[in-house]
Amino acid sequence: MIENLQGGLGLLTTWNVALTILICSVYGLFVGSVPGLTATMATALLLPFTFFMDPVPALVSIVSMSAMAIFAGDIPAALVRIPGTPSSAAYTEDAYELTKQGKAELALGISVVASSIGGLFGALVLMTAAPLLAEVALKFTSFEYFWLAALGLSATVMIASTSPLKAGLALMVGLFFSTVGLDITLGYPRFTFGSTELLNGINFIPAMIGLFGVSEILRNMASAHLRLPTTDVRARHIFRGVGHSLWKYRNHMMRSGPLGTFIGILPGAGADIAAWIAYAMARRFSKEPEKFGKGAIEPIVGATTANNACLAGAWVPALVFGIPGDSITAILIGVLFMKGLRPGPEIFARQPELVYAVYISFLVANLLMIPFGYLAIRVSSTMLRVPRNILMPAILMFCVVGSYAINNSDFDVGTMLAMGILGYFFEANGIPVAPVVLGIVLGPILEQNFMVSMIKSDWDLTEFFTRPTAAILGLLTVLTWAAPFLPAVVRRLRGGSAST
Amino acid sequence: MKISDTVVGAGFVAAGALISAGTLNYPSLDANHPGPSLFPRLLGGLMVIFGGLVGVGGLRTRDATEDVAWLRLYRNSAFINAMFVLGAVVTYIVMVERIGFLLMGTLILCVLMWRLRVRPLTALMVAIVFNNGVYFLFVKVLRVPLPGGLLWW
Repeated sequence: MIENLQGGLGLLTTWNVALTILICSVYGLFVGSVPGLTATMATALLLPFTFFMDPVPALVSIVSMSAMAIFAGDIPAALVRIPGTPSSAAYTEDAYELTKQGKAELALGISVVASSIGGLFGALVLMTAAPLLAEVALKFTSFEYFWLAALGLSATVMIASTSPLKAGLALMVGLFFSTVGLDITLGYPRFTFGSTELLNGINFIPAMIGLFGVSEILRNMASAHLRLPTTDVRARHIFRGVGHSLWKYRNHMMRSGPLGTFIGILPGAGADIAAWIAYAMARRFSKEPEKFGKGAIEPIVGATTANNACLAGAWVPALVFGIPGDSITAILIGVLFMKGLRPGPEIFARQPELVYAVYISFLVANLLMIPFGYLAIRVSSTMLRVPRNILMPAILMFCVVGSYAINNSDFDVGTMLAMGILGYFFEANGIPVAPVVLGIVLGPILEQNFMVSMIKSDWDLTEFFTRPTAAILGLLTVLTWAAPFLPAVVRRLRGGSAST
Repeated sequence: MKISDTVVGAGFVAAGALISAGTLNYPSLDANHPGPSLFPRLLGGLMVIFGGLVGVGGLRTRDATEDVAWLRLYRNSAFINAMFVLGAVVTYIVMVERIGFLLMGTLILCVLMWRLRVRPLTALMVAIVFNNGVYFLFVKVLRVPLPGGLLWW
């Protein structure tokens, strides 16, 4: 372990990795601070650069950027009542009310420290849980991997969505995209329409840039609110009173850290859902629930701890099983494949120093969050003044060039545009985009493990339930799909027994 | 661009049917076991079922104004903004090889910013500075051969 730790540290302590952390932290803080730009979009825009990086800086860039962006989303939430990222939406009212009461410094100070603590907690869970799970996962065969992928996709549809039907449709679209190109059994070209560009499938990077970048630009351009209200904040003493408040509400942090990490581990549920659930839990355990929404500190402490803890949690299934915990780790898995690294238990055995570099980068990013966050808050008024009617066209240009850069192909720019229109149309009609991404990422894993299992078992479906772990995972998948109907079944059974 | 769930559902039913139909000529594995067609056909079928359910749900909560709302979109400035974005990217794809990245990118940025009411001189300055920055980053640092076009050097 010490060797791996030293190896991980060695990979991180090079000038290019240090510079990557620095640049990506600033980038994350900027993106998080600008309403309308999400952490997922920022990750998608990073992809063209990760393409040219070595694996360690590529992974570290995503870690540091996403951690900073999720915190920075709290800044416009507190100052102009618009969450910078969806993860800050849960406690926007409370943070803004505190600003109106002249306590913006306290709200932002609590945000940055609680986010850092939440992120560190998540990182510690990642460091302890991932290697343990990896040892278990080493015994997995294609049957278990099929069920894991199926369970992850099922959870995305049934748990992490308000409309399972529409999430299901989004998932089907993502899975369909994953079938484009040469199939894995016979090498037969599927849905390529004679295009050589499609033989290797839909290019992941332009697809992500389109789904998360272009669709956001379209949404922002189609919004009447391109100019934000501006505010001045004299945030010189943001840490004053923070220690007292955090100690007073330490129980919220102690509950929200594990909760956020657990939600991160669940496939499909991201930092925004973690924040909302932590908000609801803080209200339930509060002695003053009537103050929620009116400038209460408790929901900020609880929810901002949870959303940052969630980030590291999402890396657990991504690294151990190759099953993404949220949209950001779905993109991460694409990056790993792009770098020739297959996420799964083998990565812990073959490249432990890489895994340790990720662990340490989580710790570093969350520790850096306090000084960097302090500086971001100090310049927040300036960042909020960046005119979005200049920013959006500039980001569009970046999306176009980033998509082109992967294969030097205009076809990829077309893919980006098509995916952007799709993402915009989906969001406008209440169809979530995250299941599309998970479908694209997990589709090949699902299909490959299914076909391999079927051929191994000579097309005997019962084999999927004969191994104990596979049977448990299969049962959990079935239960996930049956969950919405279970209350009605239980009611009917109770009604039946009462009448007899 | 919000349209009714009935139309969305019908669209998915049609897409699912097309996907399934597209697999009819795919080869089978030995002993007639399904091969490349199995997954897409299953997905197409599920898309038909889910799309049908969404469509039926839309019929129950039908808001007739949504069915024709898209006909009035041409008057909606937000929609026109979005069309400008799409038009800009399509124009870029078609013209960039001939005109080159620097000129094309500057033109597109200027048009989009003009549409979003940025002052013309500011738009031009931002477009020139930003595109040269992007050019330096991608061409000089990352060695991506962006099309030179008319300004090839």
